[in-house]
Amino acid sequence: MIIVTRPGITEIQLDAIREAVERAGFQTHLSRGEHRTILGCIGDERMLSEVPLATLPGVESVIPILKPYRQVARDFRAEATIVTVGEGVGASIGGNALAVIAGPCSVEGRDMLFESAHVVKAAGATLLRGGAYKPRSSPYAFRGLGEEALMLLTEVREETGLPIVTEVMDTRQVELVAAHADMLQIGARNMQNFALLSAVGEVRRPVLLKRGLSATVEELLLAAEYILARGYDHVILCERGIRTFETATRNTLDVSAVPVLKRETHLPVIVDPSHAGGKAWLVAPLSFAAVAAGADGLIIEVHPKPSEAKSDAEQSLTPTDFNDVMARLRPFAAAAGRTMAAATPLMAGAGATR
Amino acid sequence: MTRERDAKGMAAIDSLRVRIEKADDALLALLQRRMRLARAIGKAKQEAGLPILDPAREARVVRRVAARARELGMPAEEVRSLFWNIIALCRSEQIHARTARSARSVK
Repeated sequence: MIIVTRPGITEIQLDAIREAVERAGFQTHLSRGEHRTILGCIGDERMLSEVPLATLPGVESVIPILKPYRQVARDFRAEATIVTVGEGVGASIGGNALAVIAGPCSVEGRDMLFESAHVVKAAGATLLRGGAYKPRSSPYAFRGLGEEALMLLTEVREETGLPIVTEVMDTRQVELVAAHADMLQIGARNMQNFALLSAVGEVRRPVLLKRGLSATVEELLLAAEYILARGYDHVILCERGIRTFETATRNTLDVSAVPVLKRETHLPVIVDPSHAGGKAWLVAPLSFAAVAAGADGLIIEVHPKPSEAKSDAEQSLTPTDFNDVMARLRPFAAAAGRTMAAATPLMAGAGATR
Repeated sequence: MTRERDAKGMAAIDSLRVRIEKADDALLALLQRRMRLARAIGKAKQEAGLPILDPAREARVVRRVAARARELGMPAEEVRSLFWNIIALCRSEQIHARTARSARSVK
């Protein structure tokens, strides 16, 4: 339920409204907008049927939330949530700047990781991705270097300053991964692993939540609601393609999910063109479409030698291709009113000669 | 010259840190006192046949401290959430004490 207050409401009136709601066992969340202050209320709404909320001084209207999700809803919080990732300068997602997360699908070793990190940073990426634990459709496929990869990611962050994003697959890994990574990714296959969602909500690290292969927008929002229900709201939603009858692409990028999500929720929304298309050459057009549709960022797979990649070889970009995509993306970002981090010249031999 | 200034700055920080630790100790002592009082109320509630959870009272407590915090120029929203946590701590203290009492009476 949302209580919209009158302009010019006093703090004392606001206190009285909150007490009236909280005494019914509700939690309240205050959101001060430029023109209006709204009070989000979470609890069993039947408990409030006796309380004449609408007649309390300062109340303009009381709006029930009819959707199954509450805290993720835009009605609940008027301002867009901007998630800051990493310490120091870090990176922010959800503001005016387009966030580009790039890096290898999985961390396969030191050299390839450092090389990828320097390449993506030079091209203007603001965060580094790299899988330590890989969920694979086949149990016999490469499943990541685990803890060793986490150590390498920490090292590369120190060298490049890029905050790191890596996937957590299991509740037992949450604490370990959170100790190293700046943002925890929940993969498409785990989107409805509710124990994992709750566990991740507890550790207070930004979460990148990917849409399940066959999940509806509502199911994605409800999955995010699980994390917000733990009292933590730094969650980024990621459209990464859904399963359809079409086989020309690995998945079908649901471009319309971006504006739908942006309308429904205050959380940032990013797109993964690499998994959506499943082909390196599709990354550019899908990225442009995502940015045009209003995405707050992109997550792109880059590998120094895609042909030797142990996973997702077909969809990983070479450093040259990534540079090219980033350069061609700039006018689209500008047209969408977004800024992008500047490209910087790559330090000669950076990361490559280790 | 700068090294001297650095050393001076560090000494100032260290002495402030000592004072922060003293303030933390004082906070803990107060928290301990609040928890003890909560246990006493919990016992009285049990004898009077009242439930531990009293949302109306909790809401009143939070409203009072939020208003007080504002008068003191403190960020009221953060103080509210801090006090909800303190209340939760004291409430769980009452629950533990009650469970312990009923375990003893069973024996």
